[in-house]
Amino acid sequence: MYPAPIEAYFAPRSIDEALQCLAEAGDDATFIAGGMSLMQAMKARLVEPRVLIDLNEVEELRGLARGPRSLTVRPMTRYRELAATSALHGALQALGDAAATVGDRQVRNAGTIGGSLCWNYVASCMPSACLCLDATLVLASLAGGTRSVPIKTFLVGPLETARRDDELLIEIVFPASIRRGVGSAYRKYGGAVDGLPIVGIAAQVEVDEAGLCTHARFSVGGILPTARAFDGVGEILRGRPGTPAAFAEAAAAAADAIETQGDHLASAGYRRVLIRTLGRDVLAEAHARASNGAGR
Amino acid sequence: MKKEITVTVNGEAITHTVPLRLLLVDFIRDECGLTGTHVGCTYEGRCGACTVQVDGRALKSCMKLAVQADGKEVTTVEGLAREDRLHNLQKAFSRYHALQCGYCTGGILMNAVDFLNENINPSEDEVRRALVGNLCRCTGYSHIVEAILAASAMRHGLKPVPPPAETEPAP
Amino acid sequence: MSTAGETGWIGRSLARREDARLLAGRGEYLADLRVPDCLHLCFVRSAHAHARIGAVRLEAALAMPGVAGAITGAELSREVQGQRIPVLIPAFPARYRQYWPLAVDEVYWHGEPLAAVLAEDKYVAEDAAAAVEVDYEPLPAVTDAEAALCAGSPRVYDDWDDNEIFATGYTGGFEAEGIARNDAEVDALFAGADVVLSQRFRTQRCGVCPIETRGALALWSDADGLTLHLTTQRPHIERLALADLLELSTSEVRVIAPRDQGGGFGVKAPFYREHVVVCHLARKLRRPVRWIETREEHLMTVSQERDQIHDLEIAADSEGRILALRNRGIGDVGDGRQGVYWGFVMPSLGSVMLPNAYAIRHADIKLRCAVTNKTCLSPSRSFGALPTRFALERGLDMLARRLGLETAELKRRNLITDFPYTTVTGVHHDSGDYVKAWDTLLERVDLPGFRALQAEARTQGHYLGIGFACGAEFSGIPSDVLVPLENQPGYGVVTMRIDPRGKVAIHEGDAPQGQSHETTMAQVAADAFGIHPDDVSVRHGDTGTTPLSSGTIGARGASYTVAAIAEAAAALKAKMARYMIHDHGLEDADPADFAFQGGAVVYEKDGNVRRDFGALADRIVMGSINLPPGESPGLEHTAYFEAPKPMICFTAQAAKVEVDVETGQFVILDYATCEDVGTVINPIVVEGQVQGGVVQGMSNAMFEEFLYDENGQQMTADFETYRLASAADVPTVTVSHAPTPCPDHPMGVRAVGEGRPGPVPGALANAICDALAPFGVEITALPLKPETILALIEAGRAGEGA
Repeated sequence: MYPAPIEAYFAPRSIDEALQCLAEAGDDATFIAGGMSLMQAMKARLVEPRVLIDLNEVEELRGLARGPRSLTVRPMTRYRELAATSALHGALQALGDAAATVGDRQVRNAGTIGGSLCWNYVASCMPSACLCLDATLVLASLAGGTRSVPIKTFLVGPLETARRDDELLIEIVFPASIRRGVGSAYRKYGGAVDGLPIVGIAAQVEVDEAGLCTHARFSVGGILPTARAFDGVGEILRGRPGTPAAFAEAAAAAADAIETQGDHLASAGYRRVLIRTLGRDVLAEAHARASNGAGR
Repeated sequence: MKKEITVTVNGEAITHTVPLRLLLVDFIRDECGLTGTHVGCTYEGRCGACTVQVDGRALKSCMKLAVQADGKEVTTVEGLAREDRLHNLQKAFSRYHALQCGYCTGGILMNAVDFLNENINPSEDEVRRALVGNLCRCTGYSHIVEAILAASAMRHGLKPVPPPAETEPAP
Repeated sequence: MSTAGETGWIGRSLARREDARLLAGRGEYLADLRVPDCLHLCFVRSAHAHARIGAVRLEAALAMPGVAGAITGAELSREVQGQRIPVLIPAFPARYRQYWPLAVDEVYWHGEPLAAVLAEDKYVAEDAAAAVEVDYEPLPAVTDAEAALCAGSPRVYDDWDDNEIFATGYTGGFEAEGIARNDAEVDALFAGADVVLSQRFRTQRCGVCPIETRGALALWSDADGLTLHLTTQRPHIERLALADLLELSTSEVRVIAPRDQGGGFGVKAPFYREHVVVCHLARKLRRPVRWIETREEHLMTVSQERDQIHDLEIAADSEGRILALRNRGIGDVGDGRQGVYWGFVMPSLGSVMLPNAYAIRHADIKLRCAVTNKTCLSPSRSFGALPTRFALERGLDMLARRLGLETAELKRRNLITDFPYTTVTGVHHDSGDYVKAWDTLLERVDLPGFRALQAEARTQGHYLGIGFACGAEFSGIPSDVLVPLENQPGYGVVTMRIDPRGKVAIHEGDAPQGQSHETTMAQVAADAFGIHPDDVSVRHGDTGTTPLSSGTIGARGASYTVAAIAEAAAALKAKMARYMIHDHGLEDADPADFAFQGGAVVYEKDGNVRRDFGALADRIVMGSINLPPGESPGLEHTAYFEAPKPMICFTAQAAKVEVDVETGQFVILDYATCEDVGTVINPIVVEGQVQGGVVQGMSNAMFEEFLYDENGQQMTADFETYRLASAADVPTVTVSHAPTPCPDHPMGVRAVGEGRPGPVPGALANAICDALAPFGVEITALPLKPETILALIEAGRAGEGA
């Protein structure tokens, strides 16, 4: 119920200061972002950090920045901000959808995209949404400067990522052409409304002016070992109009291809049902958004 | 293992030296003596009874350390009324019988006030979704939803439906 | 004399007296109490479901700075009495196993307390508890009640020859001959019936955990003994038990339930072993000791109920009239060691309640209860009856479908219509008009309109359904039932006192947890005396200042306690009237000639003869000279109310749902109830009680399930894994009324608190099955998991294809 004793607490104001704190604190230091998962783990004494480095005061880790062909989301951006911003409309709306349904209001007021990605809990929304949107993660360390890691490489397994202990996630970069005709969406099923995803699905669809799909991406969360993308959806939809039958076929292919696990929340088979049905609906929604954009 | 922090709680700056692991909820309850903020779950932060506002945003105070509130403004349910004048939402809760045991109520109020600042004219569905982070075991939520909608309507000068309970019964 | 209702406080939705403090964050809950020099207690709980305990090493814990003490089960067992004491044992023939507050030698469930540590700081107490080392020698865990009852099953208690804690029949009387005759009659009815439905129904382990967990704060004084502040629904029973267990005089024990408690719903009714540890250590160390249960402890230890299996058979004629029932129930009661219910009292009452509000003349109902390596069942609102409500309500729907009848009509046809009525299991139905309530509900849900909508929707691939269920629930429980059930009185009692300023104080030995007693009981007294509710105060829960009562359980507030208030008021009004007769020299007047209204006492035959209520109270309390002959001074009366027979209230409920046949997911479109709670004291409070009870039933039906793995490890000890319904998961519950006044209650009130969750799972499941009738879906188990529903749809599709 209560965290184990903590020996030191730092609230750095900059990325450099945060990295400095980490270097000085050594192995037992842990970054805390929104804390929505970490505090659970600390209170259950599953983790007992000796030193806590709080990122909540690092202003340069917050906010969104649009580049010519990309959108950068800084990791301490909160779900509430992602759910409310118009910067994601169009190609990246899946991220806004996902953020809007994480946990509850209080969680969305505190929790951050970066914290979720670095924790990589199986029943979470950010990993699958970011995977679908083909994010690149920028990690900084005192020793090695910065490096970029594609999300697919970053997500390793349950509570496991490619982030090294001496690294800090400083940017999440999404490819975002200003071209119209790209739409995305995210939905999940968590038993109760806004529950942790038993299955969460993100899709991004690109259409040409004739309304034919030129490209599609599709990813699934809530499955072990970690969120997975399924490229087959793009192959099935390419060159086809966005019809219910096409989406159903693509989602069914994903359900067949993606390995799912069974647990007390749902059997492997039911997870496939969810991928098939949610997947079809998410594709339809992404396609509708893409088409609205294309027609504008 | 300890740190001096200054937190502005309901408008009053409070300086205490606290253990680093002290939860914000325990700082509020045990150090500040403000027991209107309650604890209903263990580590999962699911029940919402401990919801307070930190710099105006509803947060669960069992999911924050007290040291993280250093330099911040915390508002608890005790800070909602102004000079003993109940906040409109508090009045609506009484008039719509939106509380029974009252244990979850403080947290709901703190979340709902933040919500109504953000969404000035919510639908019933929006109110219900805004309450996902606050569990209530007594009311079945119906009256809570009515009270929040009524408070919102009253703010717009609209007449709330259905008629609420009598507040000042005539003899 | 004026009667209740005359002056207009009854039936009004007054805003609550409790609200001002609760809304301002100034409630007075247990955890809010602050006492100096207090130690915090943390329990060490078993990591195994079943194991022999070897060494319990406290040294590391005791060595921690700030740790003030620690105790093991073995040590404690030498210092307090075992918990098998008469006040905690009901009058059933069952196995009551001796046990101690902390486990000695062996643990029987995952989470059983086996040691306790005390520290100056609650964080340190938790550190210290984690530092206690325990050697376990694991033993086989018994986790399935049905298997546990089979010959050759591993045993929970190796000195018992099997795992059966309790078994009985509820029909045919207590003699073997009568039972055999009854069973033969039932057999014959089944043999001759037009239709027989046989089905197994299963309800999962779940409950109604309140948002405030349990807690205790014990203070010891050599002069006065023990004062215990405790989350409890029944402080007086607690006091008696504690005195016995701690070998104290009852004069040395005072139990105080806090003014505010964060919900109870039955969970705070039993006598829990943790309390003994807290009190004993406060006495032993002569320091205040406080324990606040964590949610994890709560979900591992209490709030678990409903765990029953029913093999139900219904014999009916072709018109759907029930000829007879046969039922074989199994209760999984966990370890079966918990006063005063010992796990089996809930399933037992569930079997008693099985016939519900239906006129079923013949039945053969039997129950077996097994101990398992799980925590003991503790009561949850709808005490024991939710599983049998689910079984029968579902069974009747299946029957209706088999006969091609409208289910609402089949149920209506079987409702009790001749009152008073005693069910085949002995439940007395005092009065009512169940058909009127049923019809009011049917009108509200517009059944014909819904059927048309449903047919239309199906053509477009949308599956809508409607389901019905009802509950005839106890309106309080009289001594006739409660004494044999729990060795406790069932009367309602209050001490009422009027002070010289005319202010009325009601002292109630019960301990509400959100039921609005301060408001509704003030309304009742104000109405009786013709004064303002603000001039009435209600105090409860302190054994030092209130009369002994059995507690806030079983919907006793508006039934028994309110009746006692009405009787106390009547007695005091008569006394006040006698003083008026004496003081005004009205020799011919009768006490009934005085009206109490508008803050005055008025002689109805001469309006000029009147006294201000406060002035008359002052004369009687302070002016104690020139008394009427044979009259005593003072205005205080303790009234005991006992109903001649159990009183009943009735709820009829309907759910409308839409089911997604691709996923089995469903949404509740509408939920409506029609209530007969007799005279309504405060409509908005009653509505709140019904809505809350219904949503508890929804939450139980849809989400809640305590899961144990095959080794008896509890896997659902937090609100993430034991999921409660949120506001977004449920609809607004609409409540209508079809009241009939209760003839056995002085004001005609029927209580509302207990039974409302019971019919809900049946109504919801029936609605889902109605929606999925084209697939022949019949749900027989809870919770209503979409995955299970989808499997039934798929099976139906496959059957169609075959």
